[in-house]
Amino acid sequence: MKDFDLKLPDTLEAAVGELPAEYSRDGAQVLAGGQDIVTVMKDDIEQPAALVSLQRLGLDGMQWDERGGLTIGATVTIQTLAEEASIERGLPALREAARSVGSPQIRSQGTLGGNLNQRPRCPYYRHPSVSCFKKGGSVCLAEFGFNKYAAIFGGGPSYYSHPSDLATVLVMLGATATIAGPGGERQVPLAELYVLPDQALDTETVLRPDEILTSVSIPAPAADARSSYLKYKERASYDFALAAVAVSVNRGDDGVVTDARVVLGGVAPKPWEVPAAAAALVGKAMAPEAWTAAGEAAVADADPLEHNGYKVHLVKGLLFRALEALV
Amino acid sequence: MSSSSRGAQASEPSWGKRSDLDVLNRDIPRVDGPVKATGEAIYTHDVRLPGMLWARVLVHPVPRAEIESIDLEVASEMPGVVYVEALKEPGDAVRYLGDDAVLAVVAAETPDQAADALRAIKVKARRLAPVVTPAQALEDGAPVVSRRRDADSNVGRANERGDEAVADAALAGAVAVVERTFEIPIQHHVCLETHGHVVQPAPDDEQVTVYASTQSVGGTPRGLARTLGRDASKIRVLTPHMGGGFGSKFGPGLEGAMAARVADQTGRPVHLMLTRSDEFAIAGNRSGSRQTLKVGARSDGRLVGLKLDADKHGGVSGGSLPGPPYIYTVADDSAVASRIRSVFTATDGSRAMRAPGHPQASFAMEAAVDELAYLLGIDLVEMRIRNLDSEVHHRQLRRVAEEIGWGEHPHRDRPGRAENGRAVGIGFGVSVWGPGGRSSRCDVTIRPDGSVVSATATQDLGTGARTYVAAIVAEELGLAVNMIEARIGDSDLPPSVTSGGSVTTGSSAPAIKDAAHKAREGLEALLVDVLEAPVGSYVWRNGQVSVRGDSTRSLPWIAVCALLREPLLAQGEFRDFLHEGRIHGAQAAKVEVDTLTGRVKVLKMVACQDQGLPLNRLALRSQINGGMVQALSYGMLEQRVFDEQDGFLLSDNLDLYKIAGAQEMPEMVALIDDEDERPSVCGMAEAPVIPGHSAIAGAIHNACGARLTRMPFTADNVLETLYGKI
Repeated sequence: MKDFDLKLPDTLEAAVGELPAEYSRDGAQVLAGGQDIVTVMKDDIEQPAALVSLQRLGLDGMQWDERGGLTIGATVTIQTLAEEASIERGLPALREAARSVGSPQIRSQGTLGGNLNQRPRCPYYRHPSVSCFKKGGSVCLAEFGFNKYAAIFGGGPSYYSHPSDLATVLVMLGATATIAGPGGERQVPLAELYVLPDQALDTETVLRPDEILTSVSIPAPAADARSSYLKYKERASYDFALAAVAVSVNRGDDGVVTDARVVLGGVAPKPWEVPAAAAALVGKAMAPEAWTAAGEAAVADADPLEHNGYKVHLVKGLLFRALEALV
Repeated sequence: MSSSSRGAQASEPSWGKRSDLDVLNRDIPRVDGPVKATGEAIYTHDVRLPGMLWARVLVHPVPRAEIESIDLEVASEMPGVVYVEALKEPGDAVRYLGDDAVLAVVAAETPDQAADALRAIKVKARRLAPVVTPAQALEDGAPVVSRRRDADSNVGRANERGDEAVADAALAGAVAVVERTFEIPIQHHVCLETHGHVVQPAPDDEQVTVYASTQSVGGTPRGLARTLGRDASKIRVLTPHMGGGFGSKFGPGLEGAMAARVADQTGRPVHLMLTRSDEFAIAGNRSGSRQTLKVGARSDGRLVGLKLDADKHGGVSGGSLPGPPYIYTVADDSAVASRIRSVFTATDGSRAMRAPGHPQASFAMEAAVDELAYLLGIDLVEMRIRNLDSEVHHRQLRRVAEEIGWGEHPHRDRPGRAENGRAVGIGFGVSVWGPGGRSSRCDVTIRPDGSVVSATATQDLGTGARTYVAAIVAEELGLAVNMIEARIGDSDLPPSVTSGGSVTTGSSAPAIKDAAHKAREGLEALLVDVLEAPVGSYVWRNGQVSVRGDSTRSLPWIAVCALLREPLLAQGEFRDFLHEGRIHGAQAAKVEVDTLTGRVKVLKMVACQDQGLPLNRLALRSQINGGMVQALSYGMLEQRVFDEQDGFLLSDNLDLYKIAGAQEMPEMVALIDDEDERPSVCGMAEAPVIPGHSAIAGAIHNACGARLTRMPFTADNVLETLYGKI
């Protein structure tokens, strides 16, 4: 790792002021829990001359509003989300997603903001000696090389899959991010936070280099909604998702589904909304036929590579299991 | 110092009747447990010496290249950098990703400075076709990658056994025949402590001290003698504690030679431990294989014919695979034919790894036995018993079957079917090993103050060896284990064996026993005039000695030792009759398969092993559990991944090279086969690692009918086996 300056600003304005307007490999970057950026630096992927810590900005609070919505500061740890009793009661899918992240050590240090802004896990991207589109190069070696963990949706020219568990569940929950920059604050729905590789290669989000994600607000779920997050980890002890599903289902008094949301994780360069899968559930009873139909709809547009066709089966199976658990 | 030869030898040493044992054959907590648990134990990694330099090696990122230039200038001028050396010159070839890919070594005042210097070395190289897969190695016109300079092919000479026509005829007459091709990946040892050394140089007339993470304290001085330009007797190797070896740490390797050279050149102590990515690139592995196995059986299940066509994948080394039929027998030996060859790739050579070749052979053979049993409608346990010669295997299989609930299992002679996508299955496997025993020595010293030292130049890889070095002496002298100081891990101590092939216990324990026995008789010689009974007629127990049959004539330990005017030294040596190396094992695994997601959860594993007298039942169960854990990890997760286009080793870390963790652990039951009453000892390292992954694969098949023919049993493998590749 190259040496860097550690900045510890006391105000958000000062923090933003330390960040560069334009991206460069050695430009200053934000430091929250450090669980991703430090590994990016150790693997020589980027060499920021400075890290701007959010530690003193007071972004570690959580606030429920009177209607049951929740705002979470960017530096709230993932372990807090996994342990907080009010989240277990009010937003169980968020808790499940938080519990599925990393190892206890990573959850204790990692933050909401860091999780949402983590970089791809593609082994080519992470290999210090490999050049690729994501590192300013001119090729995606995963496209025709080892792509077992790569995207089956939304890939090209780069084929990484987005690693964030919290992003997947927050898109499903209809959350909105608050972002601070030189011009003040702006709100971005989580569903619009991420960009595909055909839109940008040196970033995965709409955040500009001099912006900081400061909090995420989750609207109150409908009273009759039931939701869950189900992640498939190849190594149960700690791992990123081979695939994950975040689902929410509302049912009428007759048990028929009136509304549903389905978002997939680990299978695309961003959380992958599949409205067709949700539509396949609406108007149906919660039963295996509907779950299977939703699975087929979810993977209808999948475009797998050489080694990741299994994710098509896996997404169907996971969605079935997630829905089964909501009955 | 007095010698034990003073007293007449009254008897030969013996392990004694099990019912008489107070220390051995019980659960003995490790004597080094507390220092390991608290972090006080100093491993080679932890050694810090005044003025010590931190060294690193630079490994070329792809396996094959022609070096155009290596520019050390910037690196050598960086702050703190003391030593920089290129190991290749312009025009040199990098022939494989292993020790041949080490381009340079640097040493600096701090680890960070050494890492910075590595990154500052500018290498220009022309990358050549990688040849990282057997398929690439077998392509027409593939570059020859063998380590032998005169090689003209990537295929080694085939080892052919048996008469194929006889085997074919037997198979043609069989009632049931199964033929499958099995693919087994290369496995890393994943020692928690990577390879490495700390070398403290010394003037010519003094000993150089080398801290080494090694399985051969005694052999390492010879391994470094040439590099250091001095006689092996002028090199002292210390391995106070060690974080695993599994067969990968028999010699100092290139990394040891580099540590020695930099220490020699700079005159300063040098710390050179491989990083995990270096380790995965250059420090050895378990070979993979591709085996096409065809086996036939009669209607009663007896195997009647077998053909094996196998490629071993050991990188630039030959790899390992024992010939068929692995452990099982075929009714007529002449109906077995095999052809085993090595296919070389430009990757790190395989090394010994815990039962080299055996887990690979087990995987194919146990699968064939399962499939034939199903074709014939025979219970999986019964099928095995009909084809295994040893009664020991028979009883062990019955025992593990009982423990895992086989009798109540609903489908024992056919695979089950998933209900709502869930299925539970049970599988089995067997193992054998011949743990050797050979020349080893031990000194037991008893001082007049009652203190006892048991010393031998063995090493404790994490197995618990240190504990029996004390416990065997404690048993013989009637003392508590903590009254004996065990000294090991020092090449200046009485020589013992390199720890490989499960020989450590079978070699060193008899020598320790012999020394303890001589020490006891030495003390008894002093007692002849005091307690008035001849040598050989004393009972040593609970810190007392008494005359056998007359407990009124006794002395406490401290009073016995007070009779010594000088320390009593007893020198023991290997006694063949105290050791026997022939062991058996059986394992069972129970899994749940989710056929919708491909998730395999191992619910329970059971192992039963014999080994003669268990010196320490706790350590023995630990070894058996460790074998099951390592086999589970091998079967369920481990996979070395190369990019086939350019040859990058992608799985050069523990993120992508996945090993099992706490969440993967099933209920584990380690059974010691106490029906084995042999009055001998031997090692137990290899046998329990052999069949676990085979039993898991069998359990997956038993659960849902999916026979996985490649490892690991990850979701992609399970789903593609069930539904086909998309």
